[in-house]
Amino acid sequence: MTSMGSTSFEITINLIKLVLVFLMMVQAVPILVWLERRGSAFIQNRFGPNRVGPLGLLQLLADAVKFLTKEDFAPEKGNRFMFYAAPVFALIPAAIAYMAVPMSVPLKLDGHTFLIQGFEINVGIVFILGISSLAAYTILMAGWGSGSKFSLMGAMRASAQIISYELALGLSIVGVILLYGTFNLTEMVNMQQGPLTFSMFGYTVTSSYLPNWGIFYQPVGMILFFAATFAESNRLPFDLAEGEAELVAGFHTEYGGFKMLMFFIGEYGHMMIASGLMTTFFFGGYGIPGISFQEMHQIGLNLLGTETLASIFNTVVHFLSYNLKFAIFLWIFIHVRWTLPRFRYDQLMDLGWKTMLPWALANTMLTAVVIFAASYFTI
Amino acid sequence: MPSTSFLTDISINHYLILSAILFSIGMAGVLLRRNIIVLFMSIELMLNAVNISFVTFSHYFDKVDGQVMVFFVMTIAAAEAAVGLALAVSIFKRFKEVNIRFFEHLKG
Amino acid sequence: MTADVFIFWFLAILTIVSALSVVLMTNPIYSALSLAMTMVSVAAIFVTLQAYFLAGVQLIVYAGAVMVLFVMVLMLFDLKNELQAFSRGKFTGAIKVGAVGILAGLIVGAVGSFIMAGKSGAPVTPEASTSADATKALSEHLFFNHVFGFEALGVLLLVIAVGTVALSRSKGGTHAKH
Repeated sequence: MTSMGSTSFEITINLIKLVLVFLMMVQAVPILVWLERRGSAFIQNRFGPNRVGPLGLLQLLADAVKFLTKEDFAPEKGNRFMFYAAPVFALIPAAIAYMAVPMSVPLKLDGHTFLIQGFEINVGIVFILGISSLAAYTILMAGWGSGSKFSLMGAMRASAQIISYELALGLSIVGVILLYGTFNLTEMVNMQQGPLTFSMFGYTVTSSYLPNWGIFYQPVGMILFFAATFAESNRLPFDLAEGEAELVAGFHTEYGGFKMLMFFIGEYGHMMIASGLMTTFFFGGYGIPGISFQEMHQIGLNLLGTETLASIFNTVVHFLSYNLKFAIFLWIFIHVRWTLPRFRYDQLMDLGWKTMLPWALANTMLTAVVIFAASYFTI
Repeated sequence: MPSTSFLTDISINHYLILSAILFSIGMAGVLLRRNIIVLFMSIELMLNAVNISFVTFSHYFDKVDGQVMVFFVMTIAAAEAAVGLALAVSIFKRFKEVNIRFFEHLKG
Repeated sequence: MTADVFIFWFLAILTIVSALSVVLMTNPIYSALSLAMTMVSVAAIFVTLQAYFLAGVQLIVYAGAVMVLFVMVLMLFDLKNELQAFSRGKFTGAIKVGAVGILAGLIVGAVGSFIMAGKSGAPVTPEASTSADATKALSEHLFFNHVFGFEALGVLLLVIAVGTVALSRSKGGTHAKH
């Protein structure tokens, strides 16, 4: 197992890193819930939680205590094993998939190099798609284990939706993969450095002020990917799984207390994966437009003196850059949820199969042809 | 003196025997179970066992063709599952059960 | 006992136990979930064999799509524990004994031959290639050497899609009344 490091120091740090990334993901959830509640209140012109702590920031702490002390009940008609296992499994795919998203430039300490991500995997995209596709089981287990018609209907809808949109999701990033020629997320981020450069037919056009981000090459792919991730994480406008007016609360109708919270963490985890992937594929990852990694390192060296401190500075600055982009996408997720109405079920399926899938296919074909032609012919 | 080196030296044989055991389990499932869907699942199990041997050979003999075959097997398995489930659903619509004995109505 | 050996035995036992429970569970939903477990552990076995891309595809296609379809259909049917989950009769009894015999013989023979031989064959250790190169080699083989098979599979998938839609659109399915 070379990927965990060769010396015991490296292995220790890498193990700690795994725990830290997981904690980071779980700890982002209370902040997001607070943001969502305050944000929705802001959008709907009301106050939202503002009593506990400054700006209501401690509301979630109070809620967590409430969740933990609630009565733990299971429906009599359901299947107890599935009912209790489903919330646990809700957390696992999201947590594992998030580990593969790179969050900053590698940290160099005493000749050791540490990547700022849970673990590096060369086929990062395939891994993330594969692991997060396991989320459908959670929903089915919850729906069937609850022993309630509403839960089962919600679970059926949600899983059918996830399977349908997985196609559009997968196809929408084929263009990106063709463009960069790699599955490795870190390499993709490195390729998006510098100013926007088109090299076609032997000519090279460089823009002086635009960064070399994927969105300028793959605008259609970006829109399709973003829309598909909304459907994958079961958020509005695609939250047919829990259409309150029809299905009470969908697959988690029968859940309460902490089990409910775990489904929430899973949902927010999928949002985070989607935002992280959006950042990495289309918005330069952790890179900062205008300044390369080496330049930032040099700035750190001038400010702080030693190589180690400069490396730490470099990592921290790019980590903040990543988190800024990441937070913007999370906010878009929340904003969309509170501004758009819900689709009807047949409209949802039509959108997935009849609109997004053909567009994604066309995008793939066009990208392939253009990439081939641009590299093959010279004018 | 029986040695325990088979526990610690993982070789091609280990993977092949694992594959063979999985295949036998899948075969037993096909022969013994009556539920159509469980039959399909047992077939998937056998296909997976074959996939393991393909990947093993591809790894140990350093040839990629085995992995290409796994692609083909996966595609065929997905296709088989789609048709099989469509058949099972249409059987269920009529008989409210998915036992294999209803498949004999298909003839004629 | 290195980490690789431990991982192999862990995955092997996990795979076999979950595969056995596919066949032995009387509730088909448990069978389907065990099969999903088997698929995930087979994907992990692919990782130990350095077929990273295939492991991902295994997760996406098998565990993420095919098995979810199975589970969905089973949950729609809502079958309880079946009355006649296993086949009965003299002939099938013989098959049952035979299948279990083959299985047992296989295990005993394998373990026995290992112990008798004292060593598990010549340990072949191929050069570890980086997975990016491996994925590239895989795609080159797929689209150059096996392109006809690939095209044939495309046709097959089209036929399957049409057939499935036709089956599920007709009113009575395979038993339509004329």
